[in-house]
Amino acid sequence: MTDVLGIVMFVVGGVLFVLVSLTVGRLFRPRRPGQLKGEIYECGEPTVGKGQVQFDLRFYVVAMLFVIFDVEIALLYPWAQVFRQFPKAAFWDLAFFVGLLLVGYAFAWRYGYLDWTRPRAGGQADDDAQTPEQER
Amino acid sequence: MTALDLQALLPLVLTTATAIAVMIAVTITRRHGLAAWLCAAGLAAAIASIASARECAPRHISDLLVIDSFARFYSGLILAGSLVVAVLSYGYLKLRTDRHEEYYILLPLAAVGSLVIVCSANLLAFLLGLELLSICLFALIAYRRTGRGDLEAAVKYLILAGASSAFAVFGAALIYADRGSLAFGPPGLALSSPVALAGIAALLVGVGFKLALVPFHFWTPDVYQGAPAPIAGFIATVSKGAVFALALRYLSTENLLADGRIIWLLTAIAAASMLAGNLLALRQDNVKRMLAYSSIAHVGYLLIALLASASLGRPAAAIYLTAYFLASLGAFGVVGALSQPTRDADALADYRGLAWRRPFLAFTLTAMLLSLAGLPLTAGFVGKLSLVFSGVSSALWLLLSALVLGSVISIFYYLRLLAALFATPPASEPAISSPNTPWPTTAALLFLTVALLAIGLWPAPLLDLIQKMAVAAW
Repeated sequence: MTDVLGIVMFVVGGVLFVLVSLTVGRLFRPRRPGQLKGEIYECGEPTVGKGQVQFDLRFYVVAMLFVIFDVEIALLYPWAQVFRQFPKAAFWDLAFFVGLLLVGYAFAWRYGYLDWTRPRAGGQADDDAQTPEQER
Repeated sequence: MTALDLQALLPLVLTTATAIAVMIAVTITRRHGLAAWLCAAGLAAAIASIASARECAPRHISDLLVIDSFARFYSGLILAGSLVVAVLSYGYLKLRTDRHEEYYILLPLAAVGSLVIVCSANLLAFLLGLELLSICLFALIAYRRTGRGDLEAAVKYLILAGASSAFAVFGAALIYADRGSLAFGPPGLALSSPVALAGIAALLVGVGFKLALVPFHFWTPDVYQGAPAPIAGFIATVSKGAVFALALRYLSTENLLADGRIIWLLTAIAAASMLAGNLLALRQDNVKRMLAYSSIAHVGYLLIALLASASLGRPAAAIYLTAYFLASLGAFGVVGALSQPTRDADALADYRGLAWRRPFLAFTLTAMLLSLAGLPLTAGFVGKLSLVFSGVSSALWLLLSALVLGSVISIFYYLRLLAALFATPPASEPAISSPNTPWPTTAALLFLTVALLAIGLWPAPLLDLIQKMAVAAW
């Protein structure tokens, strides 16, 4: 019985969280509707039209970077479970693992993969990389 | 995990550390020479660590990996092949692209994938290694990003490798469904149920794709043509050698050859690969495509060792693979050394009269082609001889006649390229006015040629080593 109660509380809490935060936001935020705001949000890509559009290749890099942090989280949960049993080994294990991911992160940072407008090797901004603002 | 486990795993650890070290170095500073040297030094250290691990084998590391003398022999072959590819790549990349350094991160990672395949004692480890190898190869094939051919090759490889991996994973899932474990063996269990048999058939598709055996060979010429020449050599040797070693181990731990159906299936695939590979190579004017088709035939020959009795088949496979590694890497090395910044030297016309323009490269290529054709005094002859011995001892007459027929056909197209090498050079400007060969490339090619001739003239040390390492039972 208590198991079911937990699930019910989780579902109710989830629904309430969305309702409450949206309502509170509605009470405080200014209302300035516009055409752009009315569009469906899809990361700046056109939402209506043909399916065969070339979408921005930079999303690919974002997806790759996401994996760095995603993999980290996947290991962190089981790690937290067993941490008390072998604190020392677990600490160094994770330190090594996170260290490896940090190397990848540093690599991406160093070569500007974290910037949406990427600098060229020379250091100035990439001219032919069009930001969504320029396209409009 | 004990210190002895760690010592046994040292080749894998060092190769992984190489990739990480290169990545850190590249993050700090972009220097082609530094990245290449780090990569080569790391791979060399990994090779040295195999020798040091002699005492502690064989070891099972969790359920996934087993480090025995068989795994160590093939690990050494893979690492040596990767090292040669790294050295050849230095001269090749110097003339191309402004981004060389990431290449030396991907190459050791692909080697790690191959090592995991060779050491795997469990289908899970095999699939893991297969994916690591494939993912690195996608990027390496398209590394130049210049021509349409590169991207076409990479996309082709991506899609087909994905499809074949799906088969392999499905096969592993069926085997797991049948017996509740992904570990290899115990022998004979797989043949008892239709579910596991279907699983093994699906696994064969995944393995057959990586080995480019005949019904799964269509990607080979396009990928070899589009890939940078050293990477084409890597796919032809390291990637195939690793998967072949795994097939050898899997077939004998599961004792699959007890089933007549599997023997017939493999015999048909082998004979088809030998004949189709050689016949398709006959009409090729493109050297890289010709080498691709001939590599299909060579893996077909190798299957004889797979089907023969273990006592003769395993050493024959090891000898043949060693000879094939040397000759293939050498041939692709020469193609890479001749290549222009804009395109690889893959037309037959590029080789016309090469002996008068670049005698060293022409001599190297001659040795490699003669070895691939299996003529005496080269390692290829020793390899083919031991294959024939193992086939005769197991009375595989159908395959042996296919081998003889295939070899006769292959001599024709190897000689065609040889004839072009020694033809009188055209009076006009040569089709390719090549830049000078950088010294690391020369050194690597010289090493391959010397090793090829040394094994051909005096094979005893290699045979001793193989008897000691590659034959051990597991």
